[in-house]
Amino acid sequence: MAELNTSPLTAISAFAGAISHAHFEAHGDVHVAERANLGLATLTVRKGQREALKAALLAHYGLELLDGPRVSRGNGLILVGTGPDSFLAVKEGGGWAFARELSATLAGLVSVADQSSGYGVVRLEGPAARQVLAKGVPVDLHPLAFRPDDAAVTLASHVGIILWQEPSARPEQDPVYDIAVFRSFAESFWHWLEQSAAEFGLRQAG
Amino acid sequence: MAGHINTTNRISGAPEIDYATSARFTFDGRSYTGLRGDTLASALLANGVKLVARSFKYHRPRGILTAGSEEPNALVELREGARKEPNCKATTVELFDGLSAQSQNRWPSLENDIGAINGLLSPIFVAGFYYKTFKWPASFWEKLYEPLIRRAAGLGRLSNLPDPDSYEKAFAFCDVLVIGSGPAGLAAALAAGRTGARVILCEEDFRLGGRLLSEAGEEINGRSAREWLEAARAELSSLSNVTLMPRTAVYGVYDGNTYGAIEKVADHILQPAAHQPRQRLWQIVATRSILAAGALERPLVFSGNDRPGVMMASAVRTYANRFGVLAGKRVAVFTNNDNGWRTAFDLAAAGAGIPALIDTRTDVDAALSARGRAAGLNIISGGQVVATNGSKALNEVIFTDARGVKQNVSADVLAMSGGFNPAVALTTHKGARPAWSDELATFVPGDLPGGMSVVGAAQGEFSLGAALRGGHTAGLAAASATGHDGAAGDAPMAADEAYRHAPMWHVEGAKKAFVDFQHDVTASDITLAHREGYRSVELLKRYTTLGMATDQGKLSNINGHAIMAALAGKPMEQVGTTVARAPSIPVSIGAFAGHSRGKDFKPTRHIAGHAHAQELNATFIETGQWLRPQWYARPGETEWRDSVNREVSTTRTAVGICDVSTLGKIDVQGPDAAEFLNRVYINAFAKLAVGKARYGVMLREDGFILDDGTVARFGEEQFVVSTTTANAGRIMKHLNYCAQVLWPELDVQIASISEAWAQYSVAGPRSRELLQKMLGNAFDLSDTAFPFMGVAEFDWAGVPVRLFRISFSGELAYEIAVPANYGDALSRRLEAEGQPLGACFYGTEALGVMRIEKGHVGGPEMVGTTAEDVGLGRMMSTKKDFIGKALAYREAMVDPARQRLVGLRPVEAGKPLAGGAHLLEKGAAPTTANDQGYVTSVTYSPILKSWLGLALVKRGPERIGERMRVVDLLRNTEVEVELCSPVFLDPEGSKLHG
Repeated sequence: MAELNTSPLTAISAFAGAISHAHFEAHGDVHVAERANLGLATLTVRKGQREALKAALLAHYGLELLDGPRVSRGNGLILVGTGPDSFLAVKEGGGWAFARELSATLAGLVSVADQSSGYGVVRLEGPAARQVLAKGVPVDLHPLAFRPDDAAVTLASHVGIILWQEPSARPEQDPVYDIAVFRSFAESFWHWLEQSAAEFGLRQAG
Repeated sequence: MAGHINTTNRISGAPEIDYATSARFTFDGRSYTGLRGDTLASALLANGVKLVARSFKYHRPRGILTAGSEEPNALVELREGARKEPNCKATTVELFDGLSAQSQNRWPSLENDIGAINGLLSPIFVAGFYYKTFKWPASFWEKLYEPLIRRAAGLGRLSNLPDPDSYEKAFAFCDVLVIGSGPAGLAAALAAGRTGARVILCEEDFRLGGRLLSEAGEEINGRSAREWLEAARAELSSLSNVTLMPRTAVYGVYDGNTYGAIEKVADHILQPAAHQPRQRLWQIVATRSILAAGALERPLVFSGNDRPGVMMASAVRTYANRFGVLAGKRVAVFTNNDNGWRTAFDLAAAGAGIPALIDTRTDVDAALSARGRAAGLNIISGGQVVATNGSKALNEVIFTDARGVKQNVSADVLAMSGGFNPAVALTTHKGARPAWSDELATFVPGDLPGGMSVVGAAQGEFSLGAALRGGHTAGLAAASATGHDGAAGDAPMAADEAYRHAPMWHVEGAKKAFVDFQHDVTASDITLAHREGYRSVELLKRYTTLGMATDQGKLSNINGHAIMAALAGKPMEQVGTTVARAPSIPVSIGAFAGHSRGKDFKPTRHIAGHAHAQELNATFIETGQWLRPQWYARPGETEWRDSVNREVSTTRTAVGICDVSTLGKIDVQGPDAAEFLNRVYINAFAKLAVGKARYGVMLREDGFILDDGTVARFGEEQFVVSTTTANAGRIMKHLNYCAQVLWPELDVQIASISEAWAQYSVAGPRSRELLQKMLGNAFDLSDTAFPFMGVAEFDWAGVPVRLFRISFSGELAYEIAVPANYGDALSRRLEAEGQPLGACFYGTEALGVMRIEKGHVGGPEMVGTTAEDVGLGRMMSTKKDFIGKALAYREAMVDPARQRLVGLRPVEAGKPLAGGAHLLEKGAAPTTANDQGYVTSVTYSPILKSWLGLALVKRGPERIGERMRVVDLLRNTEVEVELCSPVFLDPEGSKLHG
């Protein structure tokens, strides 16, 4: 009679496999790291609830909701605009519990679907980050055209991504991008990234 | 072999040539030395190499004609081994130390080419030769004609080895794209750049400057043009908002102000550095563009105009001024315009002899004539070259003077100029046609792609002054249109040299006069096309292949069309011209593929349990972009069917585990979610209880089946829809379309959660035991607590779990889902807990076997069938409307004679069935008229020890018990079968409810 195994299941993040096999340079102009264990959720506004949602977000999270492909920031979460009335909600370290929290807090105003495992998110930074992205992302990332807190639902090579720029000390010279990739595409995305970043040197950040 | 390292044709003083840095190279195995700054063409000419290629059809000796990317003759194979690349234009190949090149289209050697016999046989190789010759007898086509044509077709040889280099793609964005870096392009880039606009300047050449590199003695702003060029290059380099892209040719104009460009990143070095691509394919999105692509000099059409040594006049000048190479010691000139004179003056100044300057015009400008006489030139006004001589290189030019008296001079180069054609190709890529200019006797840009302006010679403004002024003005205007109005200084000033010109399309003569050098189309081919009625330029092109070579007829089209116009007695604007499509220069396929080659051709999607499946020795199958475990071979299993049979038997007798994560999962929420699903499925969902699942079918608007799957209700306002793996994306789109376009009034929110959850099917008589043991107190799996079609959501082992009691195999079965990050752990936990119960993992093959045994429809049964066809007609609700309902009841859709689903069993046990085979009645001939239907799915059932099939058969369900023949005319098999119920196993469903 085997013992009942009640130990918690262990999570493996989307990019864990790719990164464990990756070739990194000690020095390089492109820095990359996975943002693992994020709370991620699709958030879609219910009919006629946009104003009520804005008020609720301000009240609960101190978050002022921006229109369009922008990143709105509040206490403990950001909302990335991915389409009319739809957002990717992101929380540091939230995991799958984040969607439940959002769902409860914003009940009746939005529909929430947990995506904590749906996407892998990598952070790409360094002086050549923009040049690497130019090899697959058909979006103008010039500092005049795409600034911190701008977002895009787009492609990297043939893989769909959600891309946004994080605030940083010198966003023109050293931009910081977060890229959400559907989990199953993580290895293909990584392969493109490695090939495209090779000439600049890909360094593991952190 | 010192003789081969002679560079006696080199002259000093060319500012673009680095005389101190030599580059060794080989051509056809012989060693030569050139200098940094050379092209392969200039280095060959410096070494006295005149014969560089054999022509395509007649294998005629050919030399270097031009100094640019319009070159039709001097095509070579570059590099060796896997890096060999055919059809490289020697005139654009940047010389590097260690370069090796080979001539093409000759055997056994360039000097002695057997194929030249085609020239002797040329009376039969005229235009239309193929159409007339290879018509009959038909039996000769495959064995004789086709191999013959294939051997003759194409130029150069591929390495037939994998390309060791990489290529990549990139995107760029700018306010103003300047195409070409001659004086007009530089002036435009400077003006736009100074305003602060984001400017990209693309130049096909490896040096910026265009004609400024080729001309001597010009002045800009009162100083030498050379000084101005250096200053312009320096200023542009200093502007952070200007990106200079040398070695980058813009080859196409596309929608959305997008321009295709090819950057030759590492073609000019021996091999790319580590991680460096050979070429990079750019998509440049530019709000405005300025085309400053210059003009191409037009050849003259006369007898013997293809002999090595006959060159374009401006090219001869370019070799002297830019590369410091005298293409010949005795340079005769044949021209119909002032440009030929310029070559005569420059070459004379550089030390060449000018035995004759033959101008077709009798009214040459007096000042020009005077300057020519002062220079001691032998000027023949009203003259025409009627023949050339020399076996593999020119040695004599024969011409007539104004009175028709024939003369001859010895010459090793004949520089010809028929005037200039603006490079209009990029203006036509979006469908516009160029416009004929009588004044310039050429085509100039007509309508332009949105956002484009054309300046300088590309616009027919041939003088230096006009190019600079036009470029400056266009640069300012383009910058202003993008919101940049900063100060840009004054336009650079230069003189407006005259361009006087009298068209001359064809000099009648006895020998071949070439119009299209690359495709060996002669003036007499055009006469023939006219005589045989192929007079429209489009027919002329196809009949003679005029302009169909890789140079797209850049040099030949206008001459050919003008000859046709003269024959037809029509003005040029009525004859018109063919239009060129992108790419305007050849671009390697490798560049278009970029990194998407080999297994990177398309992305691969991995399930969360991929690594675990690998450890379990899974063989994977591509399902769309997914890799799914197909079967898990164990030691001793020698073929795949052994593994599949074991997996099926284990599942049906104990328990099997299958990764079903790839199925589409769509979260549907909102107050109107139930109503929404009621409208998209044929069966009712409004009253589905919370905690229950239901099988559903969706139709297309036309009434045919779209997809099937289960819908689970987790809350009043929350459903999860499952789709087939293949249709996951399509159904997501369909539901979005329904919600956003068809019924925007419904309050429903849709999200794809396919990637968020890893899901495993646990099936078989011991499935409950396995899961109950694993889940412990977290959930009660007893039949009363969790009956068939129940669904539940609860937490276990630190994660949320979604549990479904649904079955595809017909066994007692569950599907268990956890967030995909925990999928690997769940897979391993299931394996560990299942081991004592004799569990195994099963793949898509066993999944397929069990669904056929159970008669569940799959992809092959859902192509062009109705719900009724596959036995699901009773699911169609009559109490509500749904997508597809209106058209599902059309006459033919409800015709009782339609092919409908049945099961098949071979009459003789053990006979295999073949998918795709057709059903015939006994004794019926295998004809379409007798066709009764076809086999959609087959499998061997290890449980029933027989082959089983599903088929769509006319009136199938009414014919159960009937014997028919399954005939496969492709594999030549025939099997007698009995029609039966498609549910082969447990038709009562007792296992499901256990």
